[in-house]
Amino acid sequence: MDGNNKIRQFFFPSLTVRFLIRASLVALFAYLFFGHLCTPILIKGHSMEPTYRDGSINFCWKLRYIFSQPKRHDVVAVRFAGNKVMLLKRVVALAGERIEFRNGKLFVDGKEANEPYVRYPCSWDLPLRQIEKNCVYVVGDNRNMPMENHYFGQAPMKRIIGGPLW
Amino acid sequence: MVRIKYLVIAVLVVILGIWAALHFFQSEERKVKKQFHLLSKWALKEAGENTFTMAQKTRNIGKLFAEHCELKADLISFSGRYTPEEISSYAASARFSFSNLSLQFYDFNVAFPEEGIARVTLTGKLKGRTTTGEDVDETHELECALKKIDNKWVFSYVEVVEALKK
Repeated sequence: MDGNNKIRQFFFPSLTVRFLIRASLVALFAYLFFGHLCTPILIKGHSMEPTYRDGSINFCWKLRYIFSQPKRHDVVAVRFAGNKVMLLKRVVALAGERIEFRNGKLFVDGKEANEPYVRYPCSWDLPLRQIEKNCVYVVGDNRNMPMENHYFGQAPMKRIIGGPLW
Repeated sequence: MVRIKYLVIAVLVVILGIWAALHFFQSEERKVKKQFHLLSKWALKEAGENTFTMAQKTRNIGKLFAEHCELKADLISFSGRYTPEEISSYAASARFSFSNLSLQFYDFNVAFPEEGIARVTLTGKLKGRTTTGEDVDETHELECALKKIDNKWVFSYVEVVEALKK
């Protein structure tokens, strides 16, 4: 009987002031944490395959680059006008470096980059260009599509809002 | 327990009051956002749309724009100043090449730099399938300016911002 009461109390708690305060605090914490610090994201599209599959779920950890800068090979979230829609891309070159694609191979400062995360064939050709100050160059892992159909390029640091949790 | 009940009722009444105030006394910001929602509504194309609906929707799209609206979209080579009629006919031909189409807007940042002018930065997402069977999924940041003419907000400037520079 006592066990039944405890179960009922767990699922249908009494509407006391103490309960309301506790519920409000949980709701506030959840709003701040999942709304601003670690936002759930639904990955749509194939540009980061096979690392991130279309339809998979992850979290964007927004404190990742508070005290540090994105490093080469980091996967970052790039914002548009706000935080609801963002791009998930990989950093392949840093400010001041020169990059180009030759026959699908990425060259950074004239040296062929080692990219174990690129699993699909690629045939892109992109002329040499230098990354501007306070920018990084981001590309998706799936380059098995015409270059015109893949959204990539130089992103200002102010657009990088974090990275996926895993 | 009785006090808690009254507290819950009071909170509900306050929430209902706020909702009613927001619903019946629309702010200028809401009126501006409404124009985007209308654009979204009229750009939407579902499979099997008849000619009459299509003509009505494209005519309505034109009505959302000022007499000389400046469009800046280097990505699709569509830059210049256009009349509402020209925009309607461009929208008609664009919609004609899609079997289904949706245009959604997210992350609105609305500012009023001066009386009768609204500047909006937002994310636009265009999704659909062309009549040739090609899937289109484009996301871009947009910078727009709207003018208040005859108590109605109309688009006077639309620019597609490149978040990533190839």
